[in-house]
Amino acid sequence: MDFYFGLIQIIGVHTLLGLSAYCVLLTGQVSLAQAGFFAIGAYVAGMLTVIAQWPLVPALGVSALVAGATACAVGFPALRVKGLMLVVATVAFGEAVRLFFFNFTYQVQAGNIRLGPHGGEGFRQIRYFPENGWTTLDVMLFIWAVVALVMAGLWWLNRSRAGAVLRAVGEDELAAQSTGINITAVKISAMTVGGVIAGIGGGIFAHYTTHIEHVQFGVVLATFAIAYPILGGLSNVFGTLLAVIFIQGFLIEGLRFMGDWRNLLFGGLIVLAMNVRPRGLLDAGAMLALKRLFFSRKERSDA
Amino acid sequence: MVDFFQNTIDGVMIGSSYGLLALGFTVIFGVMRRLNLSYGPSIMIGGYLGTVLYLNHGAGPLVVAGAVVLGAAIAGVYVERLCFAPMKAGAGIASMVSSFAIWMQLEQAAILVLPRHTYPFPPLATGATLEFGPFFVRIDHLIMLVCALGLAAAVQVTLYRTRFGLALRAIIGHPVAAHLVGINVRRAMLLAFAAASAIGGVAGFLVLAVDQQVTPMFGMWATLKGLIAMMIGGLGSVPGAVVGGLLLGVIETHSQWYFGPQFRDLIAYVVLFAFLVARPGGLFGRAPSPDITTPQKA
Repeated sequence: MDFYFGLIQIIGVHTLLGLSAYCVLLTGQVSLAQAGFFAIGAYVAGMLTVIAQWPLVPALGVSALVAGATACAVGFPALRVKGLMLVVATVAFGEAVRLFFFNFTYQVQAGNIRLGPHGGEGFRQIRYFPENGWTTLDVMLFIWAVVALVMAGLWWLNRSRAGAVLRAVGEDELAAQSTGINITAVKISAMTVGGVIAGIGGGIFAHYTTHIEHVQFGVVLATFAIAYPILGGLSNVFGTLLAVIFIQGFLIEGLRFMGDWRNLLFGGLIVLAMNVRPRGLLDAGAMLALKRLFFSRKERSDA
Repeated sequence: MVDFFQNTIDGVMIGSSYGLLALGFTVIFGVMRRLNLSYGPSIMIGGYLGTVLYLNHGAGPLVVAGAVVLGAAIAGVYVERLCFAPMKAGAGIASMVSSFAIWMQLEQAAILVLPRHTYPFPPLATGATLEFGPFFVRIDHLIMLVCALGLAAAVQVTLYRTRFGLALRAIIGHPVAAHLVGINVRRAMLLAFAAASAIGGVAGFLVLAVDQQVTPMFGMWATLKGLIAMMIGGLGSVPGAVVGGLLLGVIETHSQWYFGPQFRDLIAYVVLFAFLVARPGGLFGRAPSPDITTPQKA
């Protein structure tokens, strides 16, 4: 049973990561910096609970703030460029963060062991959950409570005026600008919200794996982060969740019996999905069909 | 002072491999306006083909070089057919994600063929050096530099002096208009993609021959270095790709010398970030042009 709980935990944390990229993607920006914000969240939350002995929730709050502030600070220069330039600029930022933690050592003596991040060896012994007697089930429920909160928040944001503004910028910047929207402010806000979500996700990630090191936060993780919302579709937050379940649950865990051949099929299936549904699994059309299925009302024009 | 110049020379030499990688990248990006994350992994496939021939059949450097270039071109065509040709205009992000998926596929394919982490690769000129006064230059590095300059010239001539180059430039300017005047856009794109991957193959062969080993990690390394060098030099600019590569090499060797190897990549990324923000078009680039995140029209 613990295996499935573990899998559901992974899906939860990756959903947070995907949602952080989703926020930025809504404004039409492809950011590969999300793994960097995730790493910042992981290290900050880990250091707070291990070295400063904070409880988990305030530590996650601080990691969210730090990651969000970083995202805001990076957003100002980075969002001056867009498209491929932004992709590369955010790769550069994400890798710079990763390499910073590769060189970052801050340890304290605790009894006969030393605690804290130790450069290339990583940050071991983030043992908040076992020390406080959390079972795997408790951890899973906690993660999903956070995921549900974030998804509800984004769902609400999506349906509010702010969501309309984000989409307007994503669909056509020029048109959005001409209606008086400050596109720089909108993009930076989206980046900041994305950073906050990634920071929370990273903080949780550090605690359930108990050991983090810089290689976990590389370009591959950043590409996964951006692949979830693109594969799932941007029409709402459930697309990202669906894509995470598809990739982590089915393609990675479900196909594990295929051994070394798994990644070959993995690649093929994603290419197939993107060919058949270039706007994502849950695009506007699919949402409309689902709506018709569950609410046999007349079709609404805003779907 | 001698150290400074020696470092600069080493940087130029190492940078010529980045320049070669950027050259292929810039052809793909210039023609497609899309990001091919599988560029490096395609080259790695070529490298593995060369290694297999070397290990099992004792092939010489020339045969291995041919195999690397051919393998990279074939892998490139495979990527183009799956990730780029079927995607409609405006679905550039879907192409990027697909090429990421193919990257994982190619990496796994390489591991299936040769499961150990590293394999030997035939050297070109076993670490032999030339001396110019107090300075040293490795012969295989020199070959790399000459190849980079030669191939850049060849690409530039092809683009600006041949009919095929004219067709490509027409597509770069406006794909629909190019189609309307009778250019076979899909075929030209496939050819450009194959040629770009083959250029990457040349780069891959030279780098692997200097390193004398091949690992599955080579794919990611090649994609990142090529991408960075291309961005520094300027999108779609042939001289820019080479100069960007050389500059990246020089920055890397100097930061390694003054701050230590663990800070080399960190500094390279910080410089890249600053560069992109301060001068988004790169050194030789034009104004930023429409590319992968142009809004998708339903």
